[in-house]
Amino acid sequence: MGQHILDDTEYRSQVRAVWRATLWLTIITIIEVGAAVLWYELYPTGNRFLLNSFFIGASLLKAYFIVAEFMHVKYETRALTISILAPTMFFIWFIIAFLMEGESWGAMRTWLGI
Amino acid sequence: MSSENIATTHHQNEEVAWQGGHSPFNVSYGKLMMWYFLLSDAFTFASLLISYGALRFSSPTWADPNKVFSAFPGMGHREVPLGFVSLMTFILILSSVFVVLAVIEGHRNNKQGVMKWMFGGILGGAAFLGCQAWEWTHLIHEGMNIWANPFGPQAFGMLFFLITGFHGFHVFSGVCLNIWAFVNTANGEFGSRNNGYEMIEKVGLYWHFVDLVWVFVFLAFYLL
Repeated sequence: MGQHILDDTEYRSQVRAVWRATLWLTIITIIEVGAAVLWYELYPTGNRFLLNSFFIGASLLKAYFIVAEFMHVKYETRALTISILAPTMFFIWFIIAFLMEGESWGAMRTWLGI
Repeated sequence: MSSENIATTHHQNEEVAWQGGHSPFNVSYGKLMMWYFLLSDAFTFASLLISYGALRFSSPTWADPNKVFSAFPGMGHREVPLGFVSLMTFILILSSVFVVLAVIEGHRNNKQGVMKWMFGGILGGAAFLGCQAWEWTHLIHEGMNIWANPFGPQAFGMLFFLITGFHGFHVFSGVCLNIWAFVNTANGEFGSRNNGYEMIEKVGLYWHFVDLVWVFVFLAFYLL
């Protein structure tokens, strides 16, 4: 690949995009930790379904900022992006299958005493 | 040129791109292979974290992260739930940012700029490792190790040391790669190459991946 030397405008806009992503990552992390600590203080034994869903969504958003901006995927060709991201679809099966497996081990432990 | 014309040219290029002669992905071989390596590494980490999930689902009780990770250096016995690990997260994010800035300076052939930001990235990585060493030492003193865990099931301690250890090993090798890239930049090695500072990009990809994995380690161990 030939080298492309950045001009001043491109340079400034790229640096600005990086700091913007940094700001988002920081804000999301602070909200996550704040929510975790607040929940722990207020409802130590409450139902965590909504809280955990929020944590998973926020982490995926953080992953988006890292992959798109820091790892530069946002600026790569469509074909490369698909070739990197498509295999991660296997994670959907991977997570569902093994969490169900874990649930079933748990049931065997509790009900059958194995 | 109107935007319609640009779109047509782009479309034609995409068709020609797959007829051989040049990379349809518009990246060099090295960068593409770094991506595929990272993809395979993502599956390794996923298998570890999903094992954590499966064992957690199989266990009637689990450790409460707010209790396990509540110590902060220099604060004695005062409880600061998740305080120290948030600091570690922030250090790793900043270190990643420094490396992106080094990559951007590389695109301008600015040797001093690459060295400055790469140095920041190395310091951040080293600081993260130092924090992790403190956290491990503290938890081992509390009695948590791969055989025992006073906070809950043994599997929690075992997986904690296995997964953060494997991640820490990645951070360590990333710091080594960053130091190597820093030294080569200082020697003028990359400045004289045909592809310029592309090596900084490849090393940078690895470093951001380490940060990416930490997002999910943080999610699994400290938040959920």
